[in-house]
Amino acid sequence: MLVAKVGLDGHDVGARVVARGLLDAGMEVIYTGLRRTPEQVVRAALEEDVDVIGVSILSGAHLAHLLKIRRLLDEQGAADIRLIAGGVIPQEDIPSLEQAGVSRVFLSGTPISEIADYVAAQAARKVS
Amino acid sequence: MNQRLDANSTQGLPAEDPATGRVGDERIRAEAARWEKDAYRAETEIHPERRSFVTDIGLKVNPLYTPADLADAGHDYLSDLGFPGEYPFTRGERAAMYRTEPFVISAYSGFGEASECNGRFRKLLDWGAEQILVALDLPTQCGYDSDHEMATAEVGQVGVALSTLADMEALFDGISIDKVKRIGTLGNSIGPIVLAMFAALGERRGLKASEFTVNLQNDPLKEYIARGTQILPAKPAAKLASDCVAWCVDHEPGWSPMTVCVNHLNAGGAGSSRATAIALANAIHYIGLLLEKGYTIDQVAPLLHMFADERHDFFVIIANLRALRRIWARMMKERYGATLREAMALRTTVYGHGQEALGEPLNNIARTAFGTLGYVLGGASYVYIASYDEAVSTPTEDSIRTALRTEEIIAHEHGFTDTIDPLGGSYFVESLTNRIEAQILDALREVEEAGGALRVIDAGLGRRWMTEGALRRQRAIDSGDRPWVTVNLWPQKPHVPNTAFRIHPDNERRQAERLRQVRAARDEQRVRRALAGIDEACRTGANMVPPTLEAVKAYASVGEIAERWRRHYGVFSPSTDF
Repeated sequence: MLVAKVGLDGHDVGARVVARGLLDAGMEVIYTGLRRTPEQVVRAALEEDVDVIGVSILSGAHLAHLLKIRRLLDEQGAADIRLIAGGVIPQEDIPSLEQAGVSRVFLSGTPISEIADYVAAQAARKVS
Repeated sequence: MNQRLDANSTQGLPAEDPATGRVGDERIRAEAARWEKDAYRAETEIHPERRSFVTDIGLKVNPLYTPADLADAGHDYLSDLGFPGEYPFTRGERAAMYRTEPFVISAYSGFGEASECNGRFRKLLDWGAEQILVALDLPTQCGYDSDHEMATAEVGQVGVALSTLADMEALFDGISIDKVKRIGTLGNSIGPIVLAMFAALGERRGLKASEFTVNLQNDPLKEYIARGTQILPAKPAAKLASDCVAWCVDHEPGWSPMTVCVNHLNAGGAGSSRATAIALANAIHYIGLLLEKGYTIDQVAPLLHMFADERHDFFVIIANLRALRRIWARMMKERYGATLREAMALRTTVYGHGQEALGEPLNNIARTAFGTLGYVLGGASYVYIASYDEAVSTPTEDSIRTALRTEEIIAHEHGFTDTIDPLGGSYFVESLTNRIEAQILDALREVEEAGGALRVIDAGLGRRWMTEGALRRQRAIDSGDRPWVTVNLWPQKPHVPNTAFRIHPDNERRQAERLRQVRAARDEQRVRRALAGIDEACRTGANMVPPTLEAVKAYASVGEIAERWRRHYGVFSPSTDF
């Protein structure tokens, strides 16, 4: 699992708490650190051969960044890497994100166990 | 006193306690223990306490507080509390406090383009705001122009785009900045640029510096741990921030060029006591840089404010503010030898929050009102309040008006502000104030032993405190130990409503276009000369504000100026720890 912050949004407590929670749930987790470009996130995901990328966004720039990451993944033959998003994302944007290949959106306030269960199921699906 | 003692003695109370010099504490302590055992425990054995009453900062709350608790803490009225406007300022930074003027009604606002945001500012002032703090978008805060690659999708998103002085002029067009109590912005990593922009704006208006007041957050050190808009490595960033204070001491001593922040550190997980300790260590670092330059503590300290924060426990809010003023006063006097009242009387900025939830956002009106009331009962100087939809997006016009009205209700209705420090003397609040003071000082000692502000960033102590705390909070919410209505009590599925404020989709293109026009119209030779002046100050270590002011007046952009700093000082390296 790669936990990523894209763009200039500097609020990474949520990302770090989720990363730690998934680590505690027994997953292998990498965190990109702040202020990454979509290109850097995709490169890191391919290098580390992750099953899932989780992008945390609270600045309102979610559509542009998430869609670009999905497109880059698909272009680089990594269509099997699941992309999930977390943070503050308006309800009306969720269908467009899901249609564009973001497999799940977890809003602020979601229990970590729910995210962990989902990520584990995705990783297992990829293995089988 | 002796007469009362005699009278008490005749009623069979013990004589003066030799250890504390107080009368009757032993008797009260004994009675309180009896009550707890015979009455309280007797009842709670049948009906158990509904939860463990532990505050977010880890202090346990007792069922009841009595004078014995104050005696145990060695409470001494004259030396611990004193009087408002007098050392150690526990009861207030000014003598008359809210009886002459309530706290300054303040609004933090900004979005989209400057011309559009100007309309919002005018409305805020109509609704009674006395101070406007401009929310800047992330590209501006991080030192990028609106047309930079890193600005993609972020222009105007969490604040207004401010690339050049032209944007600042449009932002305050038609607004009499000398009629507003204070104007300002955060500008944590671009302090000299925003200070120069406000100075240049006043100059364009023909105002003397004494005719308007500028307030900046300009506290870059906490960005590395908590907020994330850092540009440079921490050491030069702190130098640039302290340059702003030095320049104001020399030119505009009535301005407030630095607000040292607790709030982002606490919000991020540190808890208010540890967050306060880190903020104090940051203040100590900035002050050290200024003293090294030859300024005195009496020149510097009056220009510094602190942005206090506690958002989980109402009574901790009040006690934290009172403890912070006392700690600051004693630190200025005992550690630095300050002699001026203004150097010891800490002015505090606060931003009323609660545990705001995404679901049923109107409930956040109640939460933020209580949070703000706590700060007012604690004697805050400059008060902001979160809008009920602020956890979701830039506040809408309705929500920010409701927020301002809430402040005004607290300022003027219910008698909240009629007497000074109304909870002073409360057994609970005074006990809490003492315990929080001790907690902050212990944490500050830990920070200083670890090497102080810069080491806390590099060695990761700050981030560790934040992550530990954030995890602890998350677990407390998941387990229900920290009750949260609509989240773990009567839970509702979180969702972000579609009514969330949105900026115009053309905003980014229009802002970039305007920047191109400004660049085309300016005197390029003057810009080049001014930017060379910035290079020169980077090399010599001279105060960065004068050359930045020259560059800003030549319409050099935020990105162009910050780029000079990046080239000279290098950039921060993001931590991948979690």
